[in-house]
Amino acid sequence: MLAEGGAAGAVLQVTGLEAVLDGGAGVGPVDLRLAPGEQVLVLGPSGAGKSTLLRCLHGAVPHAVPARVSGEVVVAGRAVAEHGVAALADVVGVLAQDPETGVCLSDVADEVAFPLENLGTPPAAIGPAVAAALGAAGAAHLAGRRTDALSGGELQRVALAAAVVARPRLLLLDEPTSLLDADGVAAVRAALAAARESTGAACVLVEHRLDALAGDAGVAGLPGRWVVLSADGRVTHDGPAAQVARDAGPELLARGCWLPEDVELAAALGGAVAGPGLRDRVLALASTAPPARGAGCDGVTGPRREVLLAARGLAVGRGPRGRRGRRGPAPEPVLRGVDLELRAGEVVALVGANGAGKSTLLTSLAGLLPPLAGTVAGVRPGLVVQNPEHQLAGRTVAAEVAVGLPPGPATDARVAAALARFGLAGLADRDPHRLSGGEQRRLSLAAMLVHDRPVLLADEPTFGLDRHGTAAVLGVLADEARAGRAVLLTCHDLRAVASVADRVLVIADGRLVADVDPLGLVRDPRLLDAARLRPSRLLRWLAVAVADAGRLRDALAALDARGGFAARDPGAARATPAAADPGVAPVAGEPGVAPAAGAPGAALAAGPAEVPAP
Amino acid sequence: MTPLEARNPTVKLLLLVAVSLVTLALLDPATLVLLYLLGLAAARWGAGVGPRRLLLAQVPFWSFGVGVLLVNALSRPGEALVAGGPFRVTHEGLVVGAALALRGLVIGVGTVAFLASTPPRDLMVSLTRHARLSPRYAYALLAGHRMLAGLPRQWATIRAAQRVRAPLGRDGRPRDGWRAWARSAFALLVASIRASERVALALESRGLSAGPRSVWRPVPLGAGDAALAGGVVGVLALVLAAGAVLAPAGGWW
Repeated sequence: MLAEGGAAGAVLQVTGLEAVLDGGAGVGPVDLRLAPGEQVLVLGPSGAGKSTLLRCLHGAVPHAVPARVSGEVVVAGRAVAEHGVAALADVVGVLAQDPETGVCLSDVADEVAFPLENLGTPPAAIGPAVAAALGAAGAAHLAGRRTDALSGGELQRVALAAAVVARPRLLLLDEPTSLLDADGVAAVRAALAAARESTGAACVLVEHRLDALAGDAGVAGLPGRWVVLSADGRVTHDGPAAQVARDAGPELLARGCWLPEDVELAAALGGAVAGPGLRDRVLALASTAPPARGAGCDGVTGPRREVLLAARGLAVGRGPRGRRGRRGPAPEPVLRGVDLELRAGEVVALVGANGAGKSTLLTSLAGLLPPLAGTVAGVRPGLVVQNPEHQLAGRTVAAEVAVGLPPGPATDARVAAALARFGLAGLADRDPHRLSGGEQRRLSLAAMLVHDRPVLLADEPTFGLDRHGTAAVLGVLADEARAGRAVLLTCHDLRAVASVADRVLVIADGRLVADVDPLGLVRDPRLLDAARLRPSRLLRWLAVAVADAGRLRDALAALDARGGFAARDPGAARATPAAADPGVAPVAGEPGVAPAAGAPGAALAAGPAEVPAP
Repeated sequence: MTPLEARNPTVKLLLLVAVSLVTLALLDPATLVLLYLLGLAAARWGAGVGPRRLLLAQVPFWSFGVGVLLVNALSRPGEALVAGGPFRVTHEGLVVGAALALRGLVIGVGTVAFLASTPPRDLMVSLTRHARLSPRYAYALLAGHRMLAGLPRQWATIRAAQRVRAPLGRDGRPRDGWRAWARSAFALLVASIRASERVALALESRGLSAGPRSVWRPVPLGAGDAALAGGVVGVLALVLAAGAVLAPAGGWW
């Protein structure tokens, strides 16, 4: 191993690192060397240990999270194993996923000054450094504000300022944009660029929403070096972005990784990443995409469908944070004057900026938060909330699905059928808190759908999932609509909205401002802006080329099928056919999803013919 | 900034403890009433607590005080003032009960004045500087204080998430008993533990350790604080002296 001084020239030197967490998950062996200022993007399927790797790099593993670690990590000449997390704070800055817990103190300036105080910086030097860091993070206007009054995007900017204020040599970014709307992502993107420029820090990034983070620059807006982890945590590729995208793109796509759109299109359609002719290939695919059958209400063939849930003049809101007293004044509505109808057989998406009131509206529609004005009429809806863990009430997976149902053999049979349908039968006796994020999401859907409510409300149901998980959830929602339910989902992934929704409700400025089809939304810049959504290049191309929203969906479905994804039941292969849901169309018989029909394993193996084998 | 807000939190905390200890040694209602009035004045004009808030903040202490007064008046042996059926109110009981209730009121109003005039951040900065509290505890407490503010919102989210599957009662509202409540509490506990792990890691990755650190915006400790301490001790001595002089010879009973 290099001596302390010998590591000069490398900011980060990882040698034979292997970490196994208490739960058995882990990463490694990993070898990695970063020159000063070098930027690296870490890719890999869920469970590959990307976050664990980042945590190893600043000592959180094993100093804060117990794990067996072998090999060596040296940051700026210091062996991480011999230094605690705090002792590396002057050379490593960390920005994590959750803005709420990434900021610790109540005052913005105190928060940014905190790392410098801990390093013993002379007080006279702290003020200018705080101002500079806030400026670099695009948060100069937030100095003097209280952190509990900030939005998620603003909090992430403050957290980034605190991460770079000590001018670290290495910056670790663990999905910094996953909870933000487009404005928040743009803020983080600008802040990251400015911070990298002003500090010259090397950077290791793990991120799902790569297109959002890269912005209009596309792949060029991402780190120039990519490292790919396999499912068991080994480094399989390490090199320049273009080369890794070419070599590993198809395999990553098949494994359900989120990839930059350019890479995904190249992997799915052939051709070079961001190469010429890509647009033509997309449009050719769109024009030949087989039409999906029976999805949604086209308004032409069917009669007007039954209204299952209707809101009239609805105003919703919660009291200010921490003050939900009965004696206090009535809370200010976050949304007012909402009129909406949910009909049998349709999937409706609800979009809007962070804090626009999407979750509050869903909670009110579900009858769990009394409206401040107006009425909600109709059947009792089901609801799945954004964080599946909030919903967990059972000790085992099977018990969780049975919560709220009368005990008896009929319930046992329904629970068993639901577990089989969602691919959870093998986990029936497990503790639901110990499942992965994707498994918890499927469990929360299974536990709600087993109640057979005619309306399903789903709050960010695809949040935090990989592409397989997302396709599975969207497939379930579409199937439920086809079976005659009404589905209302909130989502900040415009492509997911366009691929599943029949209608989109846009909320902005405290009102419901539009009720359009997905194509109408993608084509309307004012609406997109109001909802803080930015369509990717793919959606913009398709929006110009396709004739209607149905064709837009067909094109996206065809592209998903090429990539090995298609909306399908997560446990389709194992489900007893249509036992629980007689109305569900057998997915395997559908045109356009042929390569992916069947078990998830089969979908992984069925790669598109023109993609070179990795 | 109110006069008390400008004063050093550690000094204020020590004075509050001193007054509370002295109060515990007093059984003279008149002296305690005087201290209570002074405490009210300090909260109203020293800490700038509005009349309505001040009144509301007294409610719990009054309720506690009434309870203490009744129990003592009815249960203490001594000279009967009123007797009816099984009830017998004694003079001694009334006096001791009033004194005990007033102790609670004095300590209560002092605490209100202290909290209203002391931002948590200043308290912790001052305690680490002037009372040698470890910064690890101080900043963990501050971060915890910030997390507490978000708990009601999270509780509402979890209750909603869990009540949606509860069977409906006769009134058409979800019907769930204490078991469901306990399950929600458990979910909140899980969520809070996860959140606190993340906050702890964030604190540590920003270099928080037990070692020496600098303070950017220190909380001053100066002549004003000495004057406050002298003033409070002086007034306390005067009140005690007046109480001793004015009290009826041989005590209240």
